[in-house]
Amino acid sequence: MKKSLRSGGITAVAAVAAMSLAGCGFASGPESTGSDGQTTLNLLVPSYSDNTQGLWETVIADFEAENTDIKVQLEVQSWDNLNDVVTTKVQGNKAPDIMNGGPFAGFADDELLYPIEDVVSPDTLADFQESFVASSSVESVQYGAPLLASARALFVNEDLLEQAGVTEIPATWDELLEAATKVSALGDGVAGYGLPLGSEEAQAESAIWFYGAGGGFGDASKIEIDTPANLEGAEFIQKMVEAGATQPDAGATDRSPLMDVFVQGKIGMIIGLPPTVGQIAEGNPEMNYSVNPIPTVDGEPFTLGVADHLMAFKNDESKQAAITKFFDFFYSADQYVPWVTAEKFLPTTESGSAAMSGDEDLLPFLEVLPSAQFYPSTNPNWAATNAAFKSLVGQLAQGKDAKAVLAEIQSKADAG
Amino acid sequence: MTQTINESLVSTGAALGRPRMGPKPQARTRSKDLLSALPWIGPALVLILGVVLFPAAVMFYNSTRDISLSGVDKGSVGFANYETLLDFAPLGGIMARTVIWVLAVVTVTVLASLALAQFLNKAFPGRQVVRLAVLIPWAASVVMTTLVVYYGLEGYIGIINKFLVDINLIDVPYGWTKNATSAFIWSIGIAVFVSLPFTTYTILAGLATVPGDVLEAARMDGAGRIRTYFAIVLPQLRGALSVAVLINIINVFNSLPILKIMTGSIPGYDADTVMTMIFKYIQNEQKIDVASALSVIAFLIVIVIVAIYVKLVKPLKEL
Repeated sequence: MKKSLRSGGITAVAAVAAMSLAGCGFASGPESTGSDGQTTLNLLVPSYSDNTQGLWETVIADFEAENTDIKVQLEVQSWDNLNDVVTTKVQGNKAPDIMNGGPFAGFADDELLYPIEDVVSPDTLADFQESFVASSSVESVQYGAPLLASARALFVNEDLLEQAGVTEIPATWDELLEAATKVSALGDGVAGYGLPLGSEEAQAESAIWFYGAGGGFGDASKIEIDTPANLEGAEFIQKMVEAGATQPDAGATDRSPLMDVFVQGKIGMIIGLPPTVGQIAEGNPEMNYSVNPIPTVDGEPFTLGVADHLMAFKNDESKQAAITKFFDFFYSADQYVPWVTAEKFLPTTESGSAAMSGDEDLLPFLEVLPSAQFYPSTNPNWAATNAAFKSLVGQLAQGKDAKAVLAEIQSKADAG
Repeated sequence: MTQTINESLVSTGAALGRPRMGPKPQARTRSKDLLSALPWIGPALVLILGVVLFPAAVMFYNSTRDISLSGVDKGSVGFANYETLLDFAPLGGIMARTVIWVLAVVTVTVLASLALAQFLNKAFPGRQVVRLAVLIPWAASVVMTTLVVYYGLEGYIGIINKFLVDINLIDVPYGWTKNATSAFIWSIGIAVFVSLPFTTYTILAGLATVPGDVLEAARMDGAGRIRTYFAIVLPQLRGALSVAVLINIINVFNSLPILKIMTGSIPGYDADTVMTMIFKYIQNEQKIDVASALSVIAFLIVIVIVAIYVKLVKPLKEL
């Protein structure tokens, strides 16, 4: 009795050990071609909102119904984790087949991507809007398929401004400073201008001020942060903070939490994107607000355009046809338009633009889009510049010398 | 009966001074011993090799390579990554802050745990419940605990801030987590909170081994409570204390979640320790090669600290 129990126990332990070893060894290996000629595509996407996963799943379900020999595996990550995840996958030779992301120049430089013309049909290629093609290309080869775009505008809480005695929407920086100071003087935790220089999207807020001063970040060949125009922008940020026109601790405040505070009606003015309209409708539908052009140093029109891309990784030659089918399917108007409309972003295809021209919420953004400037994201040093902004530019609001901060960011950008 | 006992004693050589009969055991070579022990230590060796040594080796290797932002290995660069680190001006401050972090957390934890263990050692009604309650900060996820405090300290919505304003300690909500010094101090508080259970239980175990008759003898000799504690109990706790301190030093040095959440939104490097800096290199700048170099440096520092500690304190030596 005892002997059989012991041998039974040994067998059980050995079996469990073997199974656990086998399990952890082959947990997440994507197979490229199954036994019956099935192709599996791995799709890695970030989530723009709570709906993103559902929207992608709908597209995938429709795609798989039409193409029964292709399966699409969806992986959703947050923007914070996306870079980590894809870098780890690339290091482990398990890069996704299709990825939705912002910067792609690094991958293009490492020769990991298909040129877009290899993975879309000529019709789809011609459908991309001209203004986005330049920012989707590295050295005139287009590697990114522009997926969606956003433009920024100034969201103004009309009630707060009225309370503070501000009659006109500010169009220049001096007017902005004056209006914001008046709103902040209302007290009770109210801030005039919401300034999110925290690490979430510090580069966007900085772009508003640097480009707005007539400076910028540079272009595809050179990153230029430490310039006199940018210094003017940086010093004006500090002026705003010192005058008390912004919320406290601006250097460490992230954009998303600050947007929530604006939706609650505690901030007079803030830079927002198309999805902000939906956020306000959900969070505070009673709010009396307006969408206006961004104030610049002299009133010249400007907005920051950001385009996100779909990119295809060159993992396995056999998947090129499947990827092409997926791209053509997704960019067709009846799939693409509902997707972009639901996410409340701006379309990047001509057909999409035509279909969404009637959308009232998007109108103020579509109007400012022609004056849009983009990040120099095809510059190989852009990723380092991006990182430098996120970790360093907040120091402007903490009292550090503006020139020193710009020099710090420039040296990090140059180091690459 | 006696015959059997004698024989067995003789063959194991237990009794000294008696001539041993039977085959003289050869001085077995170390390798033979090792080989015969292999089936028993084999699984542990495989585990150590796979989980500890292999990743460490890869880390050393990566720190000498140039790895692109996308994760592609582009060749060897010798010690260039280490040079990048040495050129990085805030590194000195980061090292100093790491030392302060470890010292502050471990000291406060040990002192608080000594007191707490003493308290839990007494028999009082509900002691079992209190002992179980002390386990909770250890059982709960560190990230969750930190997030609760982080949101409590938020300017607009934080309940801790609101409380402090309500009791008139501060006038307006203060950005505790947005300024380096205050965020760092709060992080130390949270780290002590989550380290208390383990240290308390280790010391409790040590307290249980203090023989009751020694304490009684001390009382008979007229020693006061404080004298008894410092002269009798504390030396007996030396084994448990040294284990607790060593493990705490290693854990706190390598601790990431608390600092990352509490100080993560602060720009610049004024609130970073070595661990958060490594993660900033990985997540923000995607420089896996420089992060590996910094990890190697941290690894060497920990080994040196542990070596010094073991040499000085001799935690494994019997009293």
